[in-house]
Amino acid sequence: MMPILSMIVLIPLIFAALALFTKTKEQARVIALAGTVIVLLLTVYMYVNFDSTIADNQFEELAQWVPSLGITYHLGVDGIAMPLILLNAIVLPFLVLFTWNDERKSPNRFYACILATEGAVIGVFTALDFFLFYIFWELTLVPLFFMVSIWGGPNKHKAAIKFFIYTHVASLVMLLGIFGLYFAAWDMTGTPTLDIPTLISQFQFIESGAAKDMIFLALLFGFIVKIPSFPFHSWQPDAYTEAPTAGSVLFVMLKIGGYGLFKVMLPMLPFTASPNLMITIMAVLGSVSVLYGAFLALSQKDLKRMVAYSSVSHMGYVTLGAAGLVSLSVSGAMFQQFSHGLIMSVMFMSCGIIKNTTGTRIINDLGGLAQKMPKLAVIMVMTFMASLGLPGLSGFIAEVSVLAGSFVNLPSYVMIAVSAIVITAAYHLWALQRAMFGVYNEKLGTVTDIDTFQTVSMGVIAILVLYFGLNPSPVLEMMLTNSDQIVSLMAVMGV
Amino acid sequence: MAVENLAFLIPVLPALAFVLTFFLGKKLPNGGSIIPITAIAISFVISLLITLKLLANPEEVVSQSYSWFAMLNIGILVDPLAAVMLTMVTFASLLIHIYSTGYMSHDKAPSRYFAETALFTASMLGLILSDNILQLFICWELVGVCSYLLIGFWFEKPSAATAAKKAFLTTRIGDVMFLTGIIVLFADLYKMFNGTIPDGVFILRFDEIFAHIPEIAAINSTILGMEVSHITLITLLFFGGAVGKSGQFPLHVWLPDAMEGPTTVSALIHAATMVTAGVYLVARTFPMFIAAPDSLMVVAYVGAFTALFAGTMGIVMNDLKRVLAYSTVSQLGYMMLGLGVGAAVGAEAVGISIFHLVNHAFFKALLFLCAGSVIHAVGTHDMRQLGGVAKVMPITAATMIIASLALTGMGIPGTSIGTSGFFSKDAIIESAYLFGESTGTWLPYLFSIAAALLTSLYIFRLVFMTFYGKPRTDYGGHESPASMTIPLSIFALLALIFGGLTAEKFNTFVSETFVNNFVHVDIHELATLGGYHLVEHAGHEPLLVLWMPLIVALAGLVIAYLVYGLKIVNMDSLVSRNNPIYKLLYNRYYQNSIFTNFVSVKVIYEGFAFAGRAVDRGFDWTVKWFSDLAIESGESLRQFQTGAVQNYATAVITGVSLLVILVKVVMEVL
Amino acid sequence: MIPVALYLAVAAVIFSIGLYGLMTQRSGIRILMCVELMLNAANLNLVAFSSYHDDLTGQVFALFSIALAACEAAIGFAILMALYRMKDTISLDHINILRW
Repeated sequence: MMPILSMIVLIPLIFAALALFTKTKEQARVIALAGTVIVLLLTVYMYVNFDSTIADNQFEELAQWVPSLGITYHLGVDGIAMPLILLNAIVLPFLVLFTWNDERKSPNRFYACILATEGAVIGVFTALDFFLFYIFWELTLVPLFFMVSIWGGPNKHKAAIKFFIYTHVASLVMLLGIFGLYFAAWDMTGTPTLDIPTLISQFQFIESGAAKDMIFLALLFGFIVKIPSFPFHSWQPDAYTEAPTAGSVLFVMLKIGGYGLFKVMLPMLPFTASPNLMITIMAVLGSVSVLYGAFLALSQKDLKRMVAYSSVSHMGYVTLGAAGLVSLSVSGAMFQQFSHGLIMSVMFMSCGIIKNTTGTRIINDLGGLAQKMPKLAVIMVMTFMASLGLPGLSGFIAEVSVLAGSFVNLPSYVMIAVSAIVITAAYHLWALQRAMFGVYNEKLGTVTDIDTFQTVSMGVIAILVLYFGLNPSPVLEMMLTNSDQIVSLMAVMGV
Repeated sequence: MAVENLAFLIPVLPALAFVLTFFLGKKLPNGGSIIPITAIAISFVISLLITLKLLANPEEVVSQSYSWFAMLNIGILVDPLAAVMLTMVTFASLLIHIYSTGYMSHDKAPSRYFAETALFTASMLGLILSDNILQLFICWELVGVCSYLLIGFWFEKPSAATAAKKAFLTTRIGDVMFLTGIIVLFADLYKMFNGTIPDGVFILRFDEIFAHIPEIAAINSTILGMEVSHITLITLLFFGGAVGKSGQFPLHVWLPDAMEGPTTVSALIHAATMVTAGVYLVARTFPMFIAAPDSLMVVAYVGAFTALFAGTMGIVMNDLKRVLAYSTVSQLGYMMLGLGVGAAVGAEAVGISIFHLVNHAFFKALLFLCAGSVIHAVGTHDMRQLGGVAKVMPITAATMIIASLALTGMGIPGTSIGTSGFFSKDAIIESAYLFGESTGTWLPYLFSIAAALLTSLYIFRLVFMTFYGKPRTDYGGHESPASMTIPLSIFALLALIFGGLTAEKFNTFVSETFVNNFVHVDIHELATLGGYHLVEHAGHEPLLVLWMPLIVALAGLVIAYLVYGLKIVNMDSLVSRNNPIYKLLYNRYYQNSIFTNFVSVKVIYEGFAFAGRAVDRGFDWTVKWFSDLAIESGESLRQFQTGAVQNYATAVITGVSLLVILVKVVMEVL
Repeated sequence: MIPVALYLAVAAVIFSIGLYGLMTQRSGIRILMCVELMLNAANLNLVAFSSYHDDLTGQVFALFSIALAACEAAIGFAILMALYRMKDTISLDHINILRW
């Protein structure tokens, strides 16, 4: 039995180091492609051998690290993590392909950043020890910070620092929560441990109700900012917009906030002192995010900024579905993370291409691009439709599961989210009509359609969006297993 | 192999045709039109065979279900209702596709056109075949997006792109209501199972839904201070979806603008594939509607009002296609009214409404294809520039007149002589009379009579202005090719005789939809639940009621002939901007100003969205405030760092001294 | 025999002179000299206690301390030399690039 999880975490990091030492773009991109493809193959191998009928952690690896503090090297994946690892493993090779012919300064560092982000994000998804979890969690910040501040747009420094400090502060609050849990459990049992499943299961035995709520809220804050959810989203539009295309895609792959919500928050939720309050907090944040993000997206003039706000709106479904506490809504929220990652990566790629070929992203300055770029138009129309929740594409499965499932427990909050659907359709169609259709704006000069690498990378992801929209079971099955388990916990506690 | 097992091919073949045409069409002659035509032809044959089989034995419906995910399924259901719809849609779509090979021959992207129409047809067929409400919704949305693509087919025209967006957004409002209805329904059913759904039970399948109607009807919730039964809530939300899709007031605004697409697309939308979906939805969930207090009344009122309202606008339009568009809206109003009168006549309402739907499909497709033929030949669709077209296009003119007769419902009451429209439209109007008798509300009946007059007026105005008189401009047309005139003739034949041939059998056949091996619903029991008193349908209406529709239709014909044929009345004084009524009608009741310019642009876009921007700046400002606070406190604290060693030394010594003293004092005290 | 207290008093006086100089002087050389004074006061203490306790360790430490003071003076004067060449002054008021 090979340590497959260690491999998929370490290989990107090792290849990142290798990429740093390359001299030319050609070498760097080959290294990057090799690293990401190896991870994809290993992930597919793991996926094939994954048992989606059990909710336990699989492929576990356990080694002592600092026994006196209860720190272990503990890796494992369950039905929550597996789809997200799959998402990263699928998108990253295509992201490398997408950037294949781009010209930019220091390509070696660029590809190193991509690989390092992949390693760190997968690390978060596999870590079963809070120490390790936190290391990877913070490690994701570093390459993304450089991604924005080196290759970003005109306001890159401001955006990079805002992103770094904002989410770092949130991480520190989360760290406080982890410490609270760690010491409370240590006091209680007499042995220190940072093992995530153990600590979560010991949470219910903590005596003080106030301490429980504080721990829960601190952790929740850390995750919510990363998602990001209203009203802690303001780092996100700047970072997404200023980042280079690859950076935006990497941001979209950064599903660690929502992951934490399912992996850590929901199993603890029924044992907090005031679970109903916590559910209300999450439901309010989620449903307001959906509506708020939609309105903000409607008012944007910059295409990429619009996509960034639409992301706030879509991630609201994740929080709402998690608060819904019905197996269908929780798994729908998990599926929303997966589907959103696929859809948004193509949308950001489209934005990047439009900016590169026409030199502007202001929607009103574009026009009639479909005539000059038919291939881009087809892919873009498809992903925009997926993003506005068209049935048959993956976004719909997620949205309908979240809305239908959550309605059982949270009808009024679902109505807030439902009212955003028309607005969502409005800004997507408005942008499509202005940018792609109508008379071609001659001021844009001559533009050429996307090249083969871009067509392939965007096309394959778009086809996956269609595939998972028609047949969500390959990933939804394991999500359902895990959400069943989470929800059964709720039932036991009578929440 | 039994033909039922091939039922799944009905939507799958056109869907495959979409993929093939999309990728290979450019390399084939005529945009690869042969692929969708073949696929739809096979679908048509399968549908027809299944329909014939069902006719012999209406209780043995085709039903196949497969698990999709969680407690949801995908599956097909061909019962009498679905069977007639399938046959009609495949048939109409087939003829329209054949016609399109001629019509689209000069277009620059025929392969994209045929791919999209194939997908359009496939989605509509999938919608009809659905055996659960969610799958129906999925296809419903696909129909919407195909209409978006097809209305915006000439996307380089800004008006087409705008019309496409408007169509999609307006129907989307209805779709959201429909989705909300599904969500409420799902939550209710989910609670009934206490959250544990046994394997093999798919809770959104129609048999499951219908079986739980009494329990859903028992659930009440308070919305805005009103006690509402959930079944009423759900059905009204469903009806909201139907209002959007089937162009009922007030969401009809997209339909006339949808003329920006090719005329054949209009024919598809209006006859076969899109607007009928709303009517079909209400028909499909009819057992829920009849169990819901007030829902059918709403349906009847909205339908009747739409029929009249659209008719008033139809009489002032100068664009050939726009007149037909308002005619469609008006006729859809009749179909909704036909369903609404189910409050009085029970399941028979589904029969008469679907009968009108099918007949309408034939004559409306014919009307559009004739209009397309005219436009194709003369290159304009402004009626003020036309006139005397009948001389150059005799076949088109003849078929057009047949279609107009069918639309106005000409026929002799009490006999089986009449055009198709006569049998279905008169049945609806008569049922509206029964509805008035039964419920004591006569408005729907009066509206439907008035609308019949307007229908006759606007369609014969169109005929006289376009086909008779002298040409008003020099357009130089020619008769269309055979690929266009043959479908016209087939449709004309059906518009003429289909009603008469099937009138007896059709209603009873379709009304049997709700009693078979898949669902078994007692409509009378459900009607008691909804508080409706069904009357047994018998021909005891006064003779005047039977003749009334014909009288008003003839009156309309005569007025149109006098005004537009013989021109005995000078219309110029009426048709002017100074006439407030004309102005109101011509501006279409200012709906565009109200809905588009005011509500969408001013309130939603400029109001809410920009308010949102301001709020977002507020959040950004708060975050910035924290960072400014940090920077400013750093600014002030760094003043202590003078850089002079002496100061540091002084500070150290002072500190040490203080510490020594402190320790000393503390020691003393302790 | 002179009581140890007197040694300590002398050392304290010398230390205070050094401290006063450190706090008031501006010239680098003077400050360095003051530091030397303070170090030597400490050395005096070491030697005094050493002889008081009859233990040679203190005197050994004093020798260490003197050696270190020599090194320190050498480095200190070298830095001041370098500064003087750069800035033409050894007044510490003007050598404040680390300020703020």
